[in-house]
Amino acid sequence: MGYQLTIEPLGTTIEVEDDQTILDAALRAGIWLPHACCHGLCATCKVQVLDGEVELGEASPFALMDFEREENKCLACCATLQSDVVIEADIDDDPDAEVHPVEDFRASVLANEVLTPTARRVVLELDRDLPFQAGQYINLRLPGVDQPRAFSLANPPSEKRRIELQIRIVPGGEATTYIHERLKAGDVLDLCGPYGRFFVRRSHAGGVLFLAGGTGLSSPKSMLLDLLESGDARPITLVHGVRNLAELYDRELFESLASRHDNFRYVPALSDPAAGDDWQGATGFVHEVADRLYEGDFRGNTAYLCGPPVMIDACINTLMRGRLFERDIFMERFFSAADAQQVRSPLFRKI
Amino acid sequence: MAAKRMSLRDKYNRMTRDLAWDFSYQDPKKIFEQADFEGIKIEDWDKWEDPFRLTMDAYWKYQGEKERKLYAIIDAFAQNNGQLNITDARYVNAIKLFLTGVSPLEYMAHRGFAMIGRQLPGVGPQVACQMQSLDELRHVQTQIHTISHYNKYFNGFQDFRHMHDRVWYLSVPKSFFDDAASAGPFEFITAISFSFEYVLTNLLFMPFMSGAAYNGDMATVTFGFSAQSDEARHMTLGLEVVKFMLEQHPDNLPIVQRWIDKWFWRGYRLLTLVGMMMDYMLPKRVMSWKEAWEMYFEQNGGALFNDLARYGIRMPKYWEQTVAEKGLISHAAWGTFYNYCHAAPFHTWIPEKDELDWLSEKYPDTFDKFFRPRYEHWAEQEKQGKRFYNPSLPMLCTTCQIPMVFPEASDPTLTSYRSSVHNGERYHFCSDGCKDIFDHEPEKYVQSWLPVHQIFQGNCGGATVPDVLDWYHLRDGIDNREYLASPDRANWERWKAGEEEAAELPKAAAG
Repeated sequence: MGYQLTIEPLGTTIEVEDDQTILDAALRAGIWLPHACCHGLCATCKVQVLDGEVELGEASPFALMDFEREENKCLACCATLQSDVVIEADIDDDPDAEVHPVEDFRASVLANEVLTPTARRVVLELDRDLPFQAGQYINLRLPGVDQPRAFSLANPPSEKRRIELQIRIVPGGEATTYIHERLKAGDVLDLCGPYGRFFVRRSHAGGVLFLAGGTGLSSPKSMLLDLLESGDARPITLVHGVRNLAELYDRELFESLASRHDNFRYVPALSDPAAGDDWQGATGFVHEVADRLYEGDFRGNTAYLCGPPVMIDACINTLMRGRLFERDIFMERFFSAADAQQVRSPLFRKI
Repeated sequence: MAAKRMSLRDKYNRMTRDLAWDFSYQDPKKIFEQADFEGIKIEDWDKWEDPFRLTMDAYWKYQGEKERKLYAIIDAFAQNNGQLNITDARYVNAIKLFLTGVSPLEYMAHRGFAMIGRQLPGVGPQVACQMQSLDELRHVQTQIHTISHYNKYFNGFQDFRHMHDRVWYLSVPKSFFDDAASAGPFEFITAISFSFEYVLTNLLFMPFMSGAAYNGDMATVTFGFSAQSDEARHMTLGLEVVKFMLEQHPDNLPIVQRWIDKWFWRGYRLLTLVGMMMDYMLPKRVMSWKEAWEMYFEQNGGALFNDLARYGIRMPKYWEQTVAEKGLISHAAWGTFYNYCHAAPFHTWIPEKDELDWLSEKYPDTFDKFFRPRYEHWAEQEKQGKRFYNPSLPMLCTTCQIPMVFPEASDPTLTSYRSSVHNGERYHFCSDGCKDIFDHEPEKYVQSWLPVHQIFQGNCGGATVPDVLDWYHLRDGIDNREYLASPDRANWERWKAGEEEAAELPKAAAG
């Protein structure tokens, strides 16, 4: 069972289980709501119910006042849904966010090709158009795999029927092993989307910096293609870090884009070049290469990070040391059930 | 399509930031004359993110309803003789410590936030400080009103405000806040909003409020709840202030780090009184000081400082020292008050056997070895009619003003002494943390009003203990000394005996 929860001013709709609190559901869906004590005492997570019925739960009478109960307010950390509900939360409406409803699609596999020794490129043809914002992801269902898996869309939004996924093979991973060993052209799969709040903030002035590690290139690729297609004139830099030359992919595409667009700089970087790589380009981890490129000063840029957690963490540290702070740093973060249980940062909202 | 809803942020901005104005014919430097001298550089006040969005009109509504609820519960507590439902009259001494030591700080916080709200040039922090100033005034009022019920039945409450300014150990909390309030606006808000409210407040509120709940004091629990709904706002303000200063200019980092070091240590030393309360003054205990420090500082605080590391902030200096001595300080403090409670407006006692066992269990490395024998010795003396009161005056730490009673963590049989010489005078400290604070600003701390020095200088009513107690407004034999011999205890035993007799009467007669 469960109900749908729409969160204004974002306009995003998410699924909520019967006994799940609004706060828990939102955080798991990657939507940050203000919160602190998480047990109904501090009132930090107070939200306005615009439509539908909620059960208020254990909200303290000192945190949720009588007049507020009459005004249909509730504490997100203890409220559960009794119907489909619309709330308005104290979060900022993002002027750059597009709202695309989540829909179910049927897709047939056009290609499943080797990208590198550890990654595949899967191209899918959809049964109809999938409108999305560059940077978003879909949930893909695979035969015999219980839960759907999230994959970022690597194609630009201008390509609405033919989508591209870049999939790293996780050793022992149920879904990626299936893709690696069994998925073939002509197979039919179900997917739904688009999801996620990782997208280009076009309203931010100044330079754009994409920092991508491995197959974390997929979202930045979509975002970059989208920016260049729209004729965006801001300086754009893509640092793509991989271990060695064999792991580097889409190099020709980006080199050709860089030669055609003066405002685009492409910096592939190898952290551990193999003996025969004969590598003349940048070496080091993504954050190290970026630090050298920008001489330790990232002010005036907006950064988009995509890659494994250690890379993200190292990049945030480097960017903040270079005086770029939370409001100008964006990343994709997949919240799993385990993540939602973790101690959340008291200091940061989203990084 | 209907007009887009105005977001909460826009509504908030209309009612707060948009009410500010630019100065056209006065020099802003003269209007905000304290904004620069601490060295904090702010390039753009508009980058301030309001940590909570509450407008004054909504604020009055919230606080009005909180007050109605709180006072309804306090009234019910009074009508039902709630004071008889507490675990034991010893518990009331924790409330005496709170009213004399903590409530006046709430009032100082009210004044402090009013002062800095005037001095910080950004409208965001001005609004936040205005609300916090009013919160703090409400907190002190509700605490006085709640605790006034105990004043009808127990001794030691009657002149708390007067005592706060005079009694020797109350100079510890008083000087803490005076130190903050006599600093600049940025140091004040770092000291109080960040170091105290954010990093350490759980260790002040949790023990008192959980202690109250465990010991049947529902009135105190209620003002705790009423205040906690404000504390969340105060804590987020503390975080925002620190983030803001660090993001605004790289030159702010060393200044902020030094304030965090200083105020962490000042706050930690102040919490010694809380640790003593947790381990000794609650008849029904919540957790030990050591456990609380592990949970609230070592674990939760560690997570915060991991995040702050991204800004270049490291853990507060000497935090390792707080971990090394977590098995020592509460016992050293209670032993001191046991010695000197003839000069304090509350009672002390030797823990009962099962309580000593609890302490042995909670402090397996330190209690039996360094403290239990002392208590057993004093208990024996007391049985022989020789209850020990220390006739001398203790030497105080010039910075935290706590008597020099802390053991060396490396060898707890030694007392920790540090000193510095400034302009030919030697000043004494309980720790490296307190010495560092003095060494950085000696001209400030040489002015400290140290109670023992003041007594010796003849500024405290006279040269004898009775003179000083008179000057404290402390009634000898009533407000002070051993609990077992106190009027509080005699009354309590009488009331509880009366309850039992009443319970034994036939129902008709009782009804």
